[in-house]
Amino acid sequence: MRLPDAQVAVLRAASATDAKTVEQLAAETDRKPETVTRAAFDLRDDGLVAVDERTESTATLTDEGREYAAAALPEVRLYRAAVDAGAADEPVSMGEVIGAAGLSGAEVDIALSNYARKGYGDIDSGALTADPDADPDADAEAAALDALADGASEGGDGGDGDAGDASDADVDDDTLDQLERRGLVDRDERTVRAVTLTDDGVTAMMEGVETSETVDRLTPEMLTSGEWADAEFAEYNVEADAPAVEGGRVHVLRQAAERVKDVLVGMGFREMDGPHADAEFWINDCLFMPQDHPARTHWDQFALDVPPVRDLPEDLLDRVEDAHRDGVGDDGDGYHSPWAESVAREVDLRGHTTSLSMRYLSGQQVGELEEPQRYFSVEKVYRNDTLDATHLLEFFQIEGWVMAEELSVRDLMGTFTEFYEQFGITDVRFKPHYNPYTEPSFELFGRHPETDELIEIGNSGLFREEVLTPLGVDCDVMAWGLALERLAMLTTGAEDIRDLHGTLADVEFLRNAEVTY
Amino acid sequence: MPVVDIDTDELRALTGHGEKTDEEFEADLFALGLEYEGETEDGDKQFEFAPDRLDRLSVEGVARSLRYQYGDARGVHVPDPNSPDWTIEVDPSVPDERPYVTGAVVRGVDLDEAALDSLIQLQEKLHATMGRGRAKGAIGIHDLTMLKGAGLGTAGGSLDLGGSLGAGGADTGGTDAGPVIDDDALDGSEPPESLDEGPARGSGENSITYRGVEPDGDQFVPLDADAAMTPGEVLTEHPTGETYADLVEGLERYPAIYDEIGLFSFPPVINGRRTEVSTDSRDLFIELTGTDQWTIDKMCVVLCYALSARGGAIEEIEVVYQGDTYPEEYGPELVRPDLDTDEKTVGHDRIETVLGVELDREEVVDLFERSGLDASYTLGEETTRYDVTIPPYRVDVLHPLDLIDDVGRAYGFDELEPRYPDVGTVGGRHERSRLERAVRTALVGLGFEDTLNFHMTAADENYERMQIEEGSGAFGAEEAVGITSPYSEDYTQLRTWALPSLVQVLENNTHRSYPQDLAEVGFVAHRDDDENTRVAEARRVAGVVARTDATYEDAKARLQAVCDDFDAELETPAVDHPSFIPGRAAAVELDGERVGVVGELHPAVLVDHDVEVPVAAFEFDLSGLA
Repeated sequence: MRLPDAQVAVLRAASATDAKTVEQLAAETDRKPETVTRAAFDLRDDGLVAVDERTESTATLTDEGREYAAAALPEVRLYRAAVDAGAADEPVSMGEVIGAAGLSGAEVDIALSNYARKGYGDIDSGALTADPDADPDADAEAAALDALADGASEGGDGGDGDAGDASDADVDDDTLDQLERRGLVDRDERTVRAVTLTDDGVTAMMEGVETSETVDRLTPEMLTSGEWADAEFAEYNVEADAPAVEGGRVHVLRQAAERVKDVLVGMGFREMDGPHADAEFWINDCLFMPQDHPARTHWDQFALDVPPVRDLPEDLLDRVEDAHRDGVGDDGDGYHSPWAESVAREVDLRGHTTSLSMRYLSGQQVGELEEPQRYFSVEKVYRNDTLDATHLLEFFQIEGWVMAEELSVRDLMGTFTEFYEQFGITDVRFKPHYNPYTEPSFELFGRHPETDELIEIGNSGLFREEVLTPLGVDCDVMAWGLALERLAMLTTGAEDIRDLHGTLADVEFLRNAEVTY
Repeated sequence: MPVVDIDTDELRALTGHGEKTDEEFEADLFALGLEYEGETEDGDKQFEFAPDRLDRLSVEGVARSLRYQYGDARGVHVPDPNSPDWTIEVDPSVPDERPYVTGAVVRGVDLDEAALDSLIQLQEKLHATMGRGRAKGAIGIHDLTMLKGAGLGTAGGSLDLGGSLGAGGADTGGTDAGPVIDDDALDGSEPPESLDEGPARGSGENSITYRGVEPDGDQFVPLDADAAMTPGEVLTEHPTGETYADLVEGLERYPAIYDEIGLFSFPPVINGRRTEVSTDSRDLFIELTGTDQWTIDKMCVVLCYALSARGGAIEEIEVVYQGDTYPEEYGPELVRPDLDTDEKTVGHDRIETVLGVELDREEVVDLFERSGLDASYTLGEETTRYDVTIPPYRVDVLHPLDLIDDVGRAYGFDELEPRYPDVGTVGGRHERSRLERAVRTALVGLGFEDTLNFHMTAADENYERMQIEEGSGAFGAEEAVGITSPYSEDYTQLRTWALPSLVQVLENNTHRSYPQDLAEVGFVAHRDDDENTRVAEARRVAGVVARTDATYEDAKARLQAVCDDFDAELETPAVDHPSFIPGRAAAVELDGERVGVVGELHPAVLVDHDVEVPVAAFEFDLSGLA
């Protein structure tokens, strides 16, 4: 029989009558314990040896434990000092006894707290009594410390673990637990494997076992020389863990954005692009948001410290102002709110990407658009909110709109139902809602795929005529928006949005995030 | 969004639907657009809704909407008011900043604790919404029996009354500490002459006056206080006064309302204690002041409808503006509350298009009526037109489209079958977003972890901690776009470059294993007044290689690989850049254009960020790869 070198060595060293531990075999064969273990398991799989496993626990003294083993436990010292001071007969001042016992620092507290627990006596308002019947020589913890201290010194020579084992056996578990709690002992568990030859193993040995010539690594030389043809390759443990490799990956939220973009492009949407810092005109006024709307205060949006925007399309500016003041159409009413061009010209960070939709619909961004059109963006927006596990000051908004003749609420519902189904959200509900810029408007609700909770997943509607008419759009436009982070949290199960986004990001979280596709 | 607190027992009583469970109400209200949010400490249910139907800011309004939804009520209902007995005279001394006033009298209200709570809630919610935090409109509700109307006809009587005012002061709030009338103060407040020659007089028997008062003028005892104070003292010594002080800050005269006894209300800050409303109050006097007549009139109407639902009889008042400042569209003499209905016309075909269903005319009329509107139709050549009457408490109907929304809600949007629109369009990505994606893919292929950082930062992070000075000309040192009155000192400007963000990520991950090779393709911006928005926006490609043996070459090798991928010709002439070790920094030139920087980060930068391994880094403009 031909076997790899290590297996032959282990087989030869093993005995059919004496179980030998891996450590013993390693010493005898002059090989590493891991090599012997692997060889032993391979031999066991071939039925040539038996491997007996048992768990062994060892207890070793900590530095503090060793100290007490040498100088006696603080409470024992306290008791002896107390007895010497006559506390067995009448209470004695605690300070005096502590001094006599030579206790200082942390030892004092340790001594006092264990003194009463072990029944050495009582401590009452600074006075100490000692129980004359207590026997410090019978202190189980002290005895255990001594036993472990002896065991450790004995075990020093062999290093085969027997010494620790023996001392462990002398001490009962409760006492060891107690010593561990006190930080005097460290306990460790390990598996001890012992190897014996099986009958098959004995037979194989009698028939003769030879070492097979194995090759560890395939080399370029072997390939060119043709040597590889006669080589036997050493078997690897192919189940063992390999060293960790950290490849790079696209940010998990970018992956989510890519997924959304894929879906929308598939549904016939083109992508928009435009400024993050923009005139309030595009961000709010075009959207028929009255200038005294609460969402337009700087508590809600970020105003920038720059001069007003240089150019706005003058005729559009006039039409938007008219819509705000007098409404649109014969029966239209305007707002009873102040309106000033200077406000419209102020530059803010966009609070929504609907500013892009306004720029595109106005014909200012890519020229006049003929219906039908579908457009989208997945871009960053800025809100002056409180930063917490579900809110960021900056987040990605998914924005989309469809421009066509005679769009109805049913078309809107059909489009969004289709979109959300791509993300496993079925049964979308439409709650009638109000936005200054759409009518009818709907908040979209869906069931969380895991918790089954009804949660808000978007906001939608048909743009009002007060929005479209000034922009020069004479057909219908339906639009919707939602936070990408909300969709991502929903589909990835992330619980704190701050792990995902921003400089507080945890690199480990990013390394371990599951891929979105 | 507004939240209304609702006692469902009240809702059962006011709707007449004692059999409805709380859960049924929750479902019915969801259909109306009111979302259940939770419970208050007192066990009231809280519902959040969008700020259009402000007539639903109290249980009375919600009950009214439900009665329409249940079909118990139909069409427009307008209370029939009694003719006026009281007049509010507006004296020209009223501050220009708060010129308008309106009001109503409501008699015979049955105010138990719940009704009073509801009234207070409605007042607060109207302040928060239409009233824009009391700035645009503020409400004062008073116990009418505590008011003493100055008799009309005695010209100037209401103000030319130093003695009366003093006497009234002694009565104020029943305290001994009657205000001492300071002659100087009275002179200062100067009863205007126009009062004597006032062009108009209300026909009611009683009048009160809306006028201006000197900050240190007349005293009154405000709510929740025991001592008389001047308006100025209220602003500094009374908690409510402190809260609303900024609304009257800088005014020469403060808004004030007087009856024959004296000052009893200091809008928009606080009412006087004398006229405080309690559960014993039966007759109420409501006054509203503000910056827009329409807004305060509508707030008044919402209040009147709520009190009418509590059995109150509405009584008109007259408002007479004696100076030149009166609402242009209504003239100087008004009768309020303005319970006039509005009319709008909407076409049948538009309704069908928006809802996507076919409807017959009677059904549409029925749906209007179930929405609390009245409608009649005329057959036109192209389409049937509905003339729709809108009740005065509606503040949200700006356009006929808003009426179609009402029809849809009454029809039940849930009843509509979704359909995918039969419209063909061609989809596609924006070129920049395709380029960004391709660069990210290349970086990830080189082993970089892609990061996503905030665009907002602080000057300290962007400049100082990178050892550069704003405006110094170094790459990344461009002038900042600052955020106006920032909320947080961590976010005071837009980042001018991306490397500081990556170094911050390194700083926050020193406990994680190395190597840490991080990259970002992201937004930066700086101030540039030549730009239309004054902000120059750009996308940058940035990377850091942080490992125990990182050197300049590690950054350059990866930079080179990315540039090769996009067939951009890279040159790296040496530059001085304070963020990098001298002699180990270079400009990134792509196809001859200087677009970035590459180098080994300066130890001072690393130590300041607690990074204990060398870091090689690069950043350049994404457009260099295009």
